[in-house]
Amino acid sequence: MAVTLYHWEPNANSGKPMLTLAEKGVAYESRYLDLLQFDQHKPDYLAVNPDGTIPAMVHGSRVLTESTPMMEYIDDEFAGPPLKPRDPAARWRMRWWMRYFDAYFAPSLSMIGWSIFIGPAARHRPPEELRAAIERIPLESRRVAWRKALFNEFSAEELAESKRRVLIATLALEQHLGRYEWIAGDSYSLGDINGFNLGYALPLSQPDHCNDTKTPHIMEWLRRIYERPAARATWSKGRTQMSERIKNLERQPKAPNA
Amino acid sequence: MLELYTSEPNTFFLKPLIALAEKQAAFTTRYFDAANLDQFAAGFPTDLEAGLQLEREGPLLLHDGTLISSSFFMLEYISEGLPGRSLMPAEPFDAYRARAWGQFLGANLGSGVTVLGAAKYLRPHLATLDPDWVERRIAAIEPIERRAGWLALRNGTYTEAYLQTVRDRLAAPIMRVEKALKQGPWLAGSEFSVADIDAYPMLCVLPDLASALVNPAASPRIMEYLGRIAARDSVRAARSTARTKNPEQQFVPGVEASRWG
Repeated sequence: MAVTLYHWEPNANSGKPMLTLAEKGVAYESRYLDLLQFDQHKPDYLAVNPDGTIPAMVHGSRVLTESTPMMEYIDDEFAGPPLKPRDPAARWRMRWWMRYFDAYFAPSLSMIGWSIFIGPAARHRPPEELRAAIERIPLESRRVAWRKALFNEFSAEELAESKRRVLIATLALEQHLGRYEWIAGDSYSLGDINGFNLGYALPLSQPDHCNDTKTPHIMEWLRRIYERPAARATWSKGRTQMSERIKNLERQPKAPNA
Repeated sequence: MLELYTSEPNTFFLKPLIALAEKQAAFTTRYFDAANLDQFAAGFPTDLEAGLQLEREGPLLLHDGTLISSSFFMLEYISEGLPGRSLMPAEPFDAYRARAWGQFLGANLGSGVTVLGAAKYLRPHLATLDPDWVERRIAAIEPIERRAGWLALRNGTYTEAYLQTVRDRLAAPIMRVEKALKQGPWLAGSEFSVADIDAYPMLCVLPDLASALVNPAASPRIMEYLGRIAARDSVRAARSTARTKNPEQQFVPGVEASRWG
């Protein structure tokens, strides 16, 4: 059965199945959707995923639309190196942290990202065109999010709270990676794939909180994932400047007398 | 050594009790009174994950030194880590559906159910306690995400208009479950699984909390589904652990609603 993946840039939810498929060595047909052109709300795509969220994966007659359970499906269904630990406690830890990334860290980080990047990047069109685009969004929760981003309706309190949460989550992750080499424990897993998609640009977007002095374990973890061939191959599929940010993780050569 | 820290068998406290009974697992119960904030008292078990968990409250499972929190993943842990039949569908796409239901209902149903239940039953209970004692207990709750739900209840910030909005938002996920039950008796695959153990405690209180949405006329399949699950031996065993007369009226603030509006 053929695999088709509908995705945007290798980033956040889209990058999760992209990197998982690459790690497993699964070939797939790539269908790139431009989030900023609202491709995900157009009829062709709504026929695949009526919720209009990305990514979506089609495997034969099966349609998968939730990115984190999608990663577990890819690992369960296909041959290739296992991306879940065998030990049940380590699996639980992997899943706990994926939920923390998905439901706490990522929404706070993306609220900041949408207010300073997604909103301004899509806002140059006439307001009536933007309003019509919002009306086509199937899920109410996504309509609210896009309305806030496009019309810059994030309150100062909301943004301050998101910044507070990003700092708390960064410190928690640093503490966790001080205890364990990888998210699940002693082996690379879906938890690291999830966390990398969330965090590869943290040193650039949060330079005061995420750097070699304050979060050395996060920095080392990000660089170790960046050095994996699957990560390089996945981020090379990016079409915008966004995916270029990964190059910031290149290790700097040490000075000769250091 | 398997110890379950739990309160009255309702909402997320009911889930692991059902799963452990399905597994016929031997465990020790560490009962606490969640409505009296015992889970924030000194000496209650915690660690990095339990302190930050997004359900903010809920059961804890202590197994050979590992403290398991977050109720859906606790169900997966019980399925994978204890002997007995797997509670996860064997077929990968059914397992995907079980996990997708867990994620979708946790975000779209769980937060609303706990708000409605806590506003109806916990708020009047808190009003009967010594205000100074409640004040001190709430002030000691860390992190502040966990404190926020209790403060909203104590301060009465859940207006009737807000609660109606919460109820209205439950319509879409409830209709999604009703539609899914047209395809078969269980949410993921041909057998009772973690998807059903996770969904049932959130759904079974809705004929009380959102009666316009969950009733025999509006959602006949959900009503039939609830009846079938309630009759299972595991669910009867889980409910028999109650220490109050009305465990289905015991709520804590629980899952935080989305901050995106």
